[in-house]
Amino acid sequence: MAILEVHEIRKKFDKEEILKGISFNMERGQTLSIIGSSGSGKTTLLRCLNFLEVPDAGSITVNGDVLFFANYSKLKEEEIRKNRHHFGMVFQQFNLFPQYTALENVILAPKLAAKSKDEIEEITENGKELLRKMGLEDRMDNYPHQLSGGQQQRVAIARALALKPDILCFDEPTSALDPELTGEVLKVIKELAKQKTTMIIVTHEIGFARDVSDEIIFMDGGVIAEQGTPEQVIDNPSNERTKQFLANYLK
Amino acid sequence: MFANVTLSLLEGFLGTLKLFSLTLLFSLPLGLIISFGSMNKNLVVRLPIRFIIWVVRGTPLMLQLLIIFYGPGIFLGVNLWGAGDSGRFTAALVAFVINYACYFSEIYRGGIQSIPKGQYEAAAVLGLNKGQTFFRIVLLQVIKKIVPPISNEVITLVKDTSLARVIAFYEIIWEGERFIKSAGIIWPLFYTGAFYLIFSGLLTLLFGYIEKKLEYFR
Repeated sequence: MAILEVHEIRKKFDKEEILKGISFNMERGQTLSIIGSSGSGKTTLLRCLNFLEVPDAGSITVNGDVLFFANYSKLKEEEIRKNRHHFGMVFQQFNLFPQYTALENVILAPKLAAKSKDEIEEITENGKELLRKMGLEDRMDNYPHQLSGGQQQRVAIARALALKPDILCFDEPTSALDPELTGEVLKVIKELAKQKTTMIIVTHEIGFARDVSDEIIFMDGGVIAEQGTPEQVIDNPSNERTKQFLANYLK
Repeated sequence: MFANVTLSLLEGFLGTLKLFSLTLLFSLPLGLIISFGSMNKNLVVRLPIRFIIWVVRGTPLMLQLLIIFYGPGIFLGVNLWGAGDSGRFTAALVAFVINYACYFSEIYRGGIQSIPKGQYEAAAVLGLNKGQTFFRIVLLQVIKKIVPPISNEVITLVKDTSLARVIAFYEIIWEGERFIKSAGIIWPLFYTGAFYLIFSGLLTLLFGYIEKKLEYFR
């Protein structure tokens, strides 16, 4: 069974339709990359999955549970918060909380949801373990402003993982980084892919998307123009727009 | 003589301090409530609040003191404040609290609105509710942003308390002026300046300390 089924998602801002009916499925353990030029709607799609935007139409189903069905449900704040537990989100601008250390950033949300003291201890241990995996064992007690962009983004990834989401989403995770810092973040994401973390990655790093993804979606003008394996979409694109886009990229 | 004057002025300064501290005690939290009102999505809430802020910030505090003290008696025929010094004090306190709460509310609003949207979104995707987002994420960042403008207002308040003598509230200037009539000397009035200066100096140190304490993050 598909872990995520997205059906006919539509979203308008003012009068402009940004998403014109997006449908796709993904399997557990897969890495899906969404590529496309700016304004193609890929970030909006990701934000719809995280309920940072509410779609105007369509449905979102995770593990067979319908989280969102536009024609029939108006979501309450409480429901939206529950739905979000399925998704983790890593932002382009990291959005770490500046007044908390790296470790505190990671464990804040699970701690607030914890019910007992024992649980909090476990959460703290888990948070440290996650930061260790991100190669940040000696940075746990640093505040965000004391960290480089790449380190901040790795803390943000650990923070998202700490809630054990079904699907981890990345919104252009390296776009705000200096070129020499993107590598360390991409390496971490690659490692997660190897461990069969279910991920959706919106990215401009075409080469990276090809290496890491099981599936690629190319979006253009609010629709999915082409979808398939990296070999299909990036190496042998059939759609004219995909070819154009990739040609501009490789130049 | 100097010791005598100093003691008298200290007594007057107690009045100043009382008005100062109680004004802060009530106007700081009231300002927060007003700022939420002024940011409310609903026009029916937001517009009247913005109107009140405009009136309060757009008219002299001295005039507000007079209206609040004399207004109920003149326009409504009720003696709201009761007789005597405690009535004057209550009226002065009400005027100051309303005035400062409006100023504080605008500082809070600026602080709250300056928090990047990404902070709210990060909190949202982590499943924090509105209360947790405000108290755990936003509040301390806002406090850090507003300490300098708040400290400005607080120091202004120290000196503004002297306006309350327009409704015969007893404070340090009043006490200083008394010596002109009773002893024919004017230096005690000038001397009151030293009290203001020392007190606002202490406040400056206090706020500097708070700013320093919040320097651990950016």
